[in-house]
Amino acid sequence: MARIELKGLRKVFGRNIEAVKNLDFTIEEGEFVVIVGPSGCGKTTTLRMVAGFEEPTAGEISIDGRLVNDVDPGDRGVGMVFQTHALFPHKTIAENIEFGPRMKKVPPETRKQKVREVADMVRITHLLHKLPVECSGGEAQRAALARTLITDPAAFLLDEPLSSLDAKLRREMRAEIDRLHEELKKTFVYVTHDQEEAMTLADRIVVMRLGVIEQVGTPLEIYNDPVSYFVADFFGSPSMNLISGKVDNSNGAPAFSGFGIEYTLPDAYAGVASGDYTLGVRPEHIVVGSQDAAFTCDIQLVEPLGKDTLLYFEHGAERPTIAVVEASDRFKEGEQLNITFDPARVYLFEPDGKRVR
Amino acid sequence: MNRVMKARLFKIFRYAMLLIWSVIVAFPIFWIVSTSFKPDWEWHAWPPVYWSQEASWANYRAVWGREESPRTSTEAETKTARYESHSANKPWQALWNSLYIAITATALSVAFGAILAYGVSRYRILSEIRMFQLLVLRMIPPIVVAAPLTLYYSAIHLMDTALGLIIVYFITTLPYSVWMTKSFVDEVPVEIEQAAEILGATKWQAIREVIFPLIRSGIVATFLFILILTWSEYLLSLMLSKVDVVTLPVQLAKYEGSDEGRVYGHQAALAVGITLPLMVIGIFIRKHLVRGFTFGMVKR
Repeated sequence: MARIELKGLRKVFGRNIEAVKNLDFTIEEGEFVVIVGPSGCGKTTTLRMVAGFEEPTAGEISIDGRLVNDVDPGDRGVGMVFQTHALFPHKTIAENIEFGPRMKKVPPETRKQKVREVADMVRITHLLHKLPVECSGGEAQRAALARTLITDPAAFLLDEPLSSLDAKLRREMRAEIDRLHEELKKTFVYVTHDQEEAMTLADRIVVMRLGVIEQVGTPLEIYNDPVSYFVADFFGSPSMNLISGKVDNSNGAPAFSGFGIEYTLPDAYAGVASGDYTLGVRPEHIVVGSQDAAFTCDIQLVEPLGKDTLLYFEHGAERPTIAVVEASDRFKEGEQLNITFDPARVYLFEPDGKRVR
Repeated sequence: MNRVMKARLFKIFRYAMLLIWSVIVAFPIFWIVSTSFKPDWEWHAWPPVYWSQEASWANYRAVWGREESPRTSTEAETKTARYESHSANKPWQALWNSLYIAITATALSVAFGAILAYGVSRYRILSEIRMFQLLVLRMIPPIVVAAPLTLYYSAIHLMDTALGLIIVYFITTLPYSVWMTKSFVDEVPVEIEQAAEILGATKWQAIREVIFPLIRSGIVATFLFILILTWSEYLLSLMLSKVDVVTLPVQLAKYEGSDEGRVYGHQAALAVGITLPLMVIGIFIRKHLVRGFTFGMVKR
């Protein structure tokens, strides 16, 4: 188990490409932390600094209280699973798994036994004699996991391990990783750009953007209580409806207007100043066919997903407004509907992206 | 004309072109081998003699045997003559010189080239510009450096020594080995090396266990490529050696314009002797060559 502390961590590539800016964050023992963000946000650089492949420009990395800035990757007590499984192509799966203990001069009999143990754990015993090229993507990634497991690291670092797999396999491997975390109770640091992976796997999510931490929280906190436009937009599928417009609060009852929408904001926003804002509401918090209407619009598209149905409304905003309703044949394309929002779940964002609270 | 006909015609055309090209390429080789078996009156014969009417080993005996003129002898005699001729005979001496100098220089070039290439590929110890300059070095015609080099070599007593030739071959082929090996190291994803390191391997262990096995075929291909270059190098060898260290290509030229006129048969016999060692090496390492020259070693 390991507690990983990052203090004032900073990484500059070349002369002035600042990939990570002043990161302060602590990963607790046994925690499953997912670092998520769009490409170029510094998440992989952060992970590679923890692993020891990148040297921080400034700041400190400590694992269990030990400063590891100058410690070699192999001596940090961490294991890493790479995006491109990175198995040794000229060695069989068994030789690949055996590599770590062999480098550490573990006697052959012990090694053999441990190889069988970990292969059993990730269910690849039948692949041990094969070469990596003879394995499928999912099998190779399992083998890469086994190769890391055998070294018994205090923390697992996973760099987008599932991004090269197809959707079904990805779900399967996701469950597998979750199960391993449950069983091993070790620290997991997982980097991904996939918000769904982050939501399903994480104890805590770290949202990164442009080299800084945007928000840290449990998946539900991140989903229900985003601190900014960016976080609100990043999480959830379909993503949050975000409509730009103006708020007029001249008579004490703040009203939002924009793209045909006239909506009186709930009391929580009574103190808001007039000006430009973006209104945010998740598709599942849109109420259709109600008495009172924020706006009235034709259904442009009905998209049945099986369990739910998505309704698309085109009213001139940057993106069509999407509502999730229970699956039914009730709605027809072209039908005109009254639309309003669940007042408890309406978000308001300032022009600089900050959320109004 | 329909599409099937067109495709078929194109196929015939393609094979015809390939056939013509292979004849053009293979003919000189055939001609050398054929000439090496001809008696002297067939060397200049017109119309040319393709298959000698009186093929014999006479030319080989003359060149590789004890004496420089053709003579008849029993097979047993020739055999003993060959054993004795190791040090006595010029072609054998030249063969030994060539083997020794070419293999030593190539081994040095490939070894240093591989170390440099690793540094360039992983740590950028040479910038793009420097790497290009390294290659430009090879674009200088050898004759330009040959003359001043002769002066230098005389001054530092490297003239007509094996060491002198080894040094000059090592330096002139180094750019090739760096460039070639670098492309092979580039092919090995850096994650594979990092995976080895985070699993507890030292840098040297990672190189020995992971990098080297993956670029081995490339190194063998580079070795053969550079061996061919040094093996057949003529100009520098001619300028920098006089009597003690004569290499095969220089020896080959000695049959030209000698007192007897052009002794094509002997030249051909020597030429075949020059070519055979390379072909034998090529056959032994062909497994590596196919993998090395196709470059696609690591499936991602």
